[in-house]
Amino acid sequence: MSKTVKIALAGEGGQGVQSVAEIIAEAANEEGREALYIPNFGVEQRGGVSVAYLQIGTEHIGSPKFQKADIVMALSDRAVKRTRQYVDERTTFVYDTSIEGVEEELPKNAGRILGIPAIEVSKNELHPRVFNIIIMGAVIKATGVVSEEEARAAIEKKLGYKFEQNPDLRELNFKAIARGMELVEKAQ
Amino acid sequence: MAEKPIQGEKRVFMTGNEVVAWAALAAKADIMYGYPITPQNEIMHYWTRMAPKYGKRFLQTEDELSAGFTTLGGVLAGRKAFTATAGPGNTLMQEPLSMAEMMRIPSVVIIQQRGGPSTATVIYSQQEVTMTTYGGNGEGFRIVYSTANHQELFDYTIKAFNTAWKYRFPTFVLGDGYQAKMRESLTIYDPEDRGIELVKTEPFIGKEPVNGEKQPVHIRNTYNTEEELFEVITKYLEDYTRITPEIIEHQEFDCEDADIVVVSHGVVSRAAKGAVQELRNAGLKVGYFRPVTLRPFPADRLRAVADGTKTLLMVESSLGQMAKLVKDAIFGSTVAIATLFKPGVGVTSEEIVTKVKGML
Repeated sequence: MSKTVKIALAGEGGQGVQSVAEIIAEAANEEGREALYIPNFGVEQRGGVSVAYLQIGTEHIGSPKFQKADIVMALSDRAVKRTRQYVDERTTFVYDTSIEGVEEELPKNAGRILGIPAIEVSKNELHPRVFNIIIMGAVIKATGVVSEEEARAAIEKKLGYKFEQNPDLRELNFKAIARGMELVEKAQ
Repeated sequence: MAEKPIQGEKRVFMTGNEVVAWAALAAKADIMYGYPITPQNEIMHYWTRMAPKYGKRFLQTEDELSAGFTTLGGVLAGRKAFTATAGPGNTLMQEPLSMAEMMRIPSVVIIQQRGGPSTATVIYSQQEVTMTTYGGNGEGFRIVYSTANHQELFDYTIKAFNTAWKYRFPTFVLGDGYQAKMRESLTIYDPEDRGIELVKTEPFIGKEPVNGEKQPVHIRNTYNTEEELFEVITKYLEDYTRITPEIIEHQEFDCEDADIVVVSHGVVSRAAKGAVQELRNAGLKVGYFRPVTLRPFPADRLRAVADGTKTLLMVESSLGQMAKLVKDAIFGSTVAIATLFKPGVGVTSEEIVTKVKGML
């Protein structure tokens, strides 16, 4: 029985963790795998940490949320604190290295901790608007839940209408996936 | 106007609220009445987006009392009407739904349970079991399906309309905030293409004259004497008892030789299933029982299971609302009872595995 991969993505509102989770879930579903994605939702209108719970496997998925994740990706100071609870010795914990003074907060019990400069790369190298796509590349590299081709196809499906008007956007998004994957590869 | 909302069979990936809207369309519901409350809002959103294309209607009311009563009005006029609510909205809706019980009005209500009591959380729970099965000032003459996944949410929403109109009892699909908001795959279909007959509706009132004579209809929810009411309730009980064997549904596996049987319902049964499979693979004698209908309850079968095992472990996201139904059903059995209750919080397979291992 192959294992279901459990992923928790957390960030500030606007960092796009929910759309990343949704695109990956849809890409996996397209490939005929079982996928389940649920956002956290509460009464806060603003100011909360946004968490996406994503599970991908070959068998029917059990409970929608989980206690411990295989991969946790935390993209802000508060997201690091919020997601420590999902970490155990089998968890890969990925955080953004631009978060200042977060080293003390990192979960010591994680199987491994990877720091990636995703925010910096999106600002200085690509474009802030593809930050979440860099994160998507990082997630698929760290988990192997979908291939780069599948991720590209999913983005094409989602944003194809925009790419029609501006083909450069396609290039930018695809580059962002590749860069995200590279960041994880280097950090390992 | 497009003909059928769903052509052929389609594998889709969507939220549970969207699933319900599609299922209501597929079941040829005519109108939804509703008032917004998280986590069921998107049922209304998707319905209002899709329904007008198929000549269907929507009315937003001023509160859930009104949403419930207008649903009953729609049904009395012969329309396949439904509503959806959650939490405190479900509380308010018990007033009109008691009336539906009294007047045998086949209303359909989707409940997406959230945390309670009161406003509590907008997220998730299984704390609306007592209210959905036995809420209101009555005897619980209702039918309640507790779903566990998106396929069931689709299948049982369609079924709820048929059950309600066939047996003339208010019928509920009991989901929860997780099922409402999560995305997973399912196959949507046109029920008639699959050979599922859709029970015909008819107006209760406003019937055509026969030979020029008006056909008055008198549907009562008020009685003058105790004896009058007693007679009606006795008749309802007879009807309800008679149809119970046709309605009850449950799932079970590995109960025959089990020392412990895990009993759960709804979304928690997903975790229970995984846990029991894992424990069996480890050679432990554990079984799985899940009531799909909470009202009427699959009592006889569970009683038989209880008599054949040592312990029932009841697992739910409330402080024992399903367990009350279980204990009532197995009254007289000497089986031991253990519990894993997490009110307003999800339950994972790992927790159930740990619990069971701690018991053996």
